[in-house]
Amino acid sequence: MSNLTRRSIMQGGLALAGTIAAPQLALGQNGGGRTITAGGVDLTSYDPVVSTSLLTTYHAAKVYDTLFGLDLQQRPQPQMVSKYELSDDKLTWTFELRDGLKFHDGAAVTSADVIPSIRRWAARSPLGQLMMTHVKDISARDTKIFSIQLKERFGLVLEGLAGSSDGGCFIMRKKEAETDPAQKIDAVIGSGPFKFNLTETKPGAKYVYDRNPDYVPRKEPPSGMAGGKLVKIDRLTYMAMPDAQTAIAAIQAGEIDFYDEPPIDLLEQLSRDKNVKLQVLDQLGQNGLIRFNHLHPPFNNVKCRQAILYIVKQLDYLKAIISNPDYYKTCASSFGCGTSTENDANTGWFRAAPDYTKAKQLLKEGGYDGRPVVLLQATNWSIAKDAAEILADEMRRAGINVRLEPMDWAGVTARRAVKSSPDQGGWNVFTSTAPGFFLGNPLFSYHQANGEKGWFGWASDSKNEELRNRWVLAETVEERREVAREMQENEWNFVPQVLFGRWLQPVVMRVNIKGVQPNTFSWASPVWWNVEKA
Amino acid sequence: MGSYIIRRLSSAVPVMAIVAIIVFLLLHLAPGDPAAIMAGDNPTPEAIAQIRQQLGLAEPLWRQFLLWVVNLTHGDLGQSIVWGEPVTRLIAQRAEPTISLALTTSVFAVPIALVLGIAAAAKAGTAFDRCVMGFAVLDFSIPLFVVGYVLIFLFSIKFKWLPVQGYSPIANGVGPWLRSLTLPTLALGLPYVALIARITRATMLEVLSEDYMRTARAKGVGSARLLLKHALKNAALPIVTVIGMGVGFLIGGAIVTETVFNIPGIGRLVVDGITRRDYPIIQGVTLILSGVYMLVNLLVDLSYALFDPRIRY
Repeated sequence: MSNLTRRSIMQGGLALAGTIAAPQLALGQNGGGRTITAGGVDLTSYDPVVSTSLLTTYHAAKVYDTLFGLDLQQRPQPQMVSKYELSDDKLTWTFELRDGLKFHDGAAVTSADVIPSIRRWAARSPLGQLMMTHVKDISARDTKIFSIQLKERFGLVLEGLAGSSDGGCFIMRKKEAETDPAQKIDAVIGSGPFKFNLTETKPGAKYVYDRNPDYVPRKEPPSGMAGGKLVKIDRLTYMAMPDAQTAIAAIQAGEIDFYDEPPIDLLEQLSRDKNVKLQVLDQLGQNGLIRFNHLHPPFNNVKCRQAILYIVKQLDYLKAIISNPDYYKTCASSFGCGTSTENDANTGWFRAAPDYTKAKQLLKEGGYDGRPVVLLQATNWSIAKDAAEILADEMRRAGINVRLEPMDWAGVTARRAVKSSPDQGGWNVFTSTAPGFFLGNPLFSYHQANGEKGWFGWASDSKNEELRNRWVLAETVEERREVAREMQENEWNFVPQVLFGRWLQPVVMRVNIKGVQPNTFSWASPVWWNVEKA
Repeated sequence: MGSYIIRRLSSAVPVMAIVAIIVFLLLHLAPGDPAAIMAGDNPTPEAIAQIRQQLGLAEPLWRQFLLWVVNLTHGDLGQSIVWGEPVTRLIAQRAEPTISLALTTSVFAVPIALVLGIAAAAKAGTAFDRCVMGFAVLDFSIPLFVVGYVLIFLFSIKFKWLPVQGYSPIANGVGPWLRSLTLPTLALGLPYVALIARITRATMLEVLSEDYMRTARAKGVGSARLLLKHALKNAALPIVTVIGMGVGFLIGGAIVTETVFNIPGIGRLVVDGITRRDYPIIQGVTLILSGVYMLVNLLVDLSYALFDPRIRY
């Protein structure tokens, strides 16, 4: 055995230091057509029917294909379908699947897979449910041709299949498609441009997608969720990175290629870094949402809800929460701004706010008696937390006795489902956000006013529901716009919720990432087809 | 000693049962509903109710607890509500990074802390002693995540020596493994160094003031021998106790460290479990960690006999 000398120890130490400090590719390896993307949120479900989480939709958009996809103008365009037609009586849609569609297990996609996929999607999708009330039957003519027969005219079949009210109708194998719509599927096998690599995936940490070499893209140029889905990277890894600061450091160091939600206050720092670039993918952005509980006083009274319209000054919220004016804008439309339904009907209150005298008068007319108003505050979500603080201050100035109840977002999601009165564990108001894509759709939950069957807050207004039905039956874009205008006129009278402004969330990526397309369907995630790494 | 170990291990059973009951009740009584989280961004109340039904969360609390205990007796920690995978598998997948981090932190922190503590005690009252104690106070006072960010800025962004985040399994090579753990180890290890160094210094000072130490010094025992053989051995019991208790600190610190350095370990798993109210994961991890903590304390107790021959089990 050799003697341990000071020199040998130093040599050993240097060798060890060399090993540690030597450039290693194993960690943060993202060359050779491999792209690493990261986001602050984790994927909680692989099943886009069971979960409406946006991240699940992004996952599904890679693995599954859809019959139709929405383009950047939010028009449905054929995707898995080659030919389609509507009968003269407008009661039968016939679709033909295009050639070369194959699931990742090698089996061909047939009508037998498509029909149960439509039924399963329709059981959970808001527009799908509505569509099915007009559908007489969905039947296969042969392995590639199927039809949807309607009982009565319904103008939104293609919009529904393309995902106007959700991520879309993702086509699964018959086996998975016949799973109970409330039950999670147990295999993730689609026919989309990426294959889900379950072996490399580590739930909670990283999710791996490999290019599907058998995928046959359409010839049209890509546009939103439509057009040619040509995959130019071999592997895409999504890493859940809960700490935004770490993610920013990782992208600056080149360990990841893309991060979907850089904090707004770090954008200036990022814009100075020549190795990364910022891009706004979702031009519809996010909208701040103040949602009332319509079941209990004081917000069961329309005057009290109207009072809040007069105290919310959107700029105060936006300055505090987003701070950088390049990324925010006030917006008075109840359908958000930049959407096809945006309009200026009944927005006089917006120009008047803040008007505390008017608000106090409305509260008095609404019979507000000084009782505590429970405002749920999600402390682990900075936007909702700060918005609740500002709202509480504004409400106090109007003479409302606010009781802020801090909890984490998980606590808010549970508490907002409680229908009991606020002193029995219920609530009066909470703050959240609404993606422009969804807010712009009259069918989406924010615009429901069907009482206790509807979204949290349980707004109720028969005129609203009548107008939503008219929107569904409208056959032209112009007609729909006109109905949306009437809806807004009515909404700002019965005030289901108040909005506290709109902002755009840029993504950050390394400069060598090319071909990232804007889209309107999502919040901040790109579609990964056509993206390449130089 | 054998019967002592058996007695200690059997006394762990009721303690863990109490831990299990407390964790179960705390979790289920805390606000938050995994079904509401799983249902996505804009669920209908009906959809949430349906998911609750399927997950068995609509069952009475006592029945949920009973089912969990019955499964536990079969070594089944249940299935993750969110990922639908067995909790044991998820913990096994996440164990390596956490064990590695705990190991490297201990290997880094304990020797350094002992050397600093002993040296500070030997040079008590000098500038060196004040520097060491100042460093210890500073280390212990700065939040772990701040240390983490500063280390990332210096060694990853500025000098580009080490990776910002992530974990490379040891199967990919010792070099990448060490590289991925260097900064997390430093961040987690520095307060651990401070804790042990302070207790080492204090205990050593106490021992050094004993009569038998003066006698040894009078008999001409050299200072190195005096410190390392006579003083350290007599000061060992409190130091070993603090090192053992520090495992609790390491577990808590690992949660923050794994988040800051994006290490997919047990700490991250439990944080994800808490934010999503994934009850089986939180229950399973807490139970296992409390078991580990008890085992470490048992080992600490057993080690007393090594340092003090008067102790017999």
